[in-house]
Amino acid sequence: MALVTITNVWKYYGKTVAVKDLNITCKDGEFVSVLGPSGCGKSSTLRMLAGLEHISAGDIRFGDTRVNDLEPKDRDIAMVFENYALYPHKTVYENMANPLRLRNESEDTIKKRIAFAAEMLEIEYLLQRKPMELSGGQKQRTAIGRAIVREPKLFLFDEPIAHLDAKLRARMRGELKIMQRRLGTTMIYVTHDQLEAMSMADRIAVMNNGVLQQFGTPQEIYNHPVNEWVAGFVGEPPMNFIDCDLIEEGGGFYAVHSAFKVAVPADQAAKLRGALKSSGVRMGIRPDQMAISLGQEGAAKGSIKITEPLGGDTLVDVDLKGAHHVLVKTDADFRGQMNNSCSLNFDTSRWHFFSKETGVAYF
Amino acid sequence: MVPTGSGSARPTTHNGEHYVDGARVIEYLPSSLNALPSSRYYLWLMAPALILLAAITLYPFFWLIWMSLQNVGAGPETEFVGFKNYIRLWADDKFWTGWVLLFKYSFFCLLFEITIGVFLAVVLNGHRFENILITIFLMPMMMAPAIAGLVWYYLFNSTFGWYHWLFQSLGILGETSIIGSTETAMAGIVIVDIWQWTPLITLITLAGMKRVPRDQLEANMVDGASAVRNFISITLPNIYPFLLIAIMLRFMDNFRFIDVIMRLTGGGPAEVTKVLPVYLFDVSFVFFKLGRGSAIALTLLIVTIIFGKLLVKVFENPASKRIDQGN
Repeated sequence: MALVTITNVWKYYGKTVAVKDLNITCKDGEFVSVLGPSGCGKSSTLRMLAGLEHISAGDIRFGDTRVNDLEPKDRDIAMVFENYALYPHKTVYENMANPLRLRNESEDTIKKRIAFAAEMLEIEYLLQRKPMELSGGQKQRTAIGRAIVREPKLFLFDEPIAHLDAKLRARMRGELKIMQRRLGTTMIYVTHDQLEAMSMADRIAVMNNGVLQQFGTPQEIYNHPVNEWVAGFVGEPPMNFIDCDLIEEGGGFYAVHSAFKVAVPADQAAKLRGALKSSGVRMGIRPDQMAISLGQEGAAKGSIKITEPLGGDTLVDVDLKGAHHVLVKTDADFRGQMNNSCSLNFDTSRWHFFSKETGVAYF
Repeated sequence: MVPTGSGSARPTTHNGEHYVDGARVIEYLPSSLNALPSSRYYLWLMAPALILLAAITLYPFFWLIWMSLQNVGAGPETEFVGFKNYIRLWADDKFWTGWVLLFKYSFFCLLFEITIGVFLAVVLNGHRFENILITIFLMPMMMAPAIAGLVWYYLFNSTFGWYHWLFQSLGILGETSIIGSTETAMAGIVIVDIWQWTPLITLITLAGMKRVPRDQLEANMVDGASAVRNFISITLPNIYPFLLIAIMLRFMDNFRFIDVIMRLTGGGPAEVTKVLPVYLFDVSFVFFKLGRGSAIALTLLIVTIIFGKLLVKVFENPASKRIDQGN
């Protein structure tokens, strides 16, 4: 088990920069998820941690040991690959035994560790099969089994459940989290799926274009995204962004748009003072942080473009005046129809304001 | 609509034309793509290829068998002698020595070519200058064997040959030339074969290495394998079928290519390089005993086939399994 410190790490491929000046510290036993779209540098980061990729600049430390120049085999890590990377000519048992064999463990230890891992992953009945006889989910369990028999200092998971079907994926999220808690091993988990990151990780590192955007707990990232990009990337359905003006009137602040004029709570107003001089702000609000009602009593007026009943709740696409459409999540019993006029009330305690120029959040 | 049904029952007019619901239909394809055409249809399609194959392969092959049962002189008249040619071979020392030399020659060629070839492939794979280097390495292979023989004939030359001078300076060689000494002549022809054909092994191995799954290599590295261990447990099983092809090719080539040997030593000195194909050449085209020559050629062919089959049998099973089980 180990404290993992990534200090000012850069990764270049030729002249392309994949990771820019990355700083992350994972506490011992922590489940850290690296989240970002494809090409954001998250896999490069993981591969540098594994020793499969040269570190262009900066340091990576496991505990007090600088591992930059260590071979993968000397880093005491275990990795689960996106495509499982099982050895096709070996049985599940032999696949799992491989890392132990390479470390000259005794047959007894090998047997014991595999029995433990197989039981945890419920793959005891598969041990004598070969990878080609396994389903995707079984292959993935085998790959995880191969990682946990090692009892390594650090787990590195590279989108391990990305190729499973949705149902199995949902189940594996829970199982992986339980497994990590039970083993207590530090885990770094790369994914592009914000749901995976949110549901499993203790802390999430959100990356975009090789730059770390925000590193914090899922709640911090969801409730206080540091910039517009993080706000838009995390959360499903995504946050709505509405460009509006900020004006000061009679001692209070108002967010003004052609469809609404809403007072800004006093505690937020102080932080927004700097935005007054700019040409406008971008207001962000999540679909479930608005109340929709038919008629024109609400703060923001518009009309319903389409409703999508999802059973448990309903998504409503609203055309605000001024040609901006907004996605609203409401109850299943919402009865609005296409082209009905409607209005929205914002939960002003939970909305966000971002700078129009830089995308940085004001609070 | 194209009518379905058996081809023969179709109301066909001349040129495959017929009428369906008053519309003229000309069929260029079998009436239904689902129904398999008769085997006669395929036979006609294959006929030209079969005839050509018979003319260039089967006819000479049977003619060779016939010849081996004849006493053929310089003139056109031949005399049937039954298995006399074969019986005489049994007692022919040069024939048996030819075999021993051929196996020795082939073994050393293969051993060094595979070792060096695979090593070069490992070094070249993913190298920055891979494409340029492989082009350079392939040059010896592009050279006609007879020309290669000539080049090395000069390199080995005892008055101005560069290699001769080098080896002599190092004290490895005495006064005689490499190909002139009974001790080193075999090594001489083996070296030329290695020089010329190692690139082929490299090329084939390199092609194999391109399909070694990278994630397996990496998984094994993370599991704790060293580079050597990784090569043995991941790369080797994956390039196995390719190596088999390379070994087959080179083994069969060694059993029939004599251009270089003819050019360099002509079987000498003191017949230490008179491998069986060279002896075959001597018997057939120097002494013009085509009957005996045919008998030798046939034995050579049969042994090549047997060894080829054995090689495939020994190596094929795990190899084909590995291909089938690819992820």
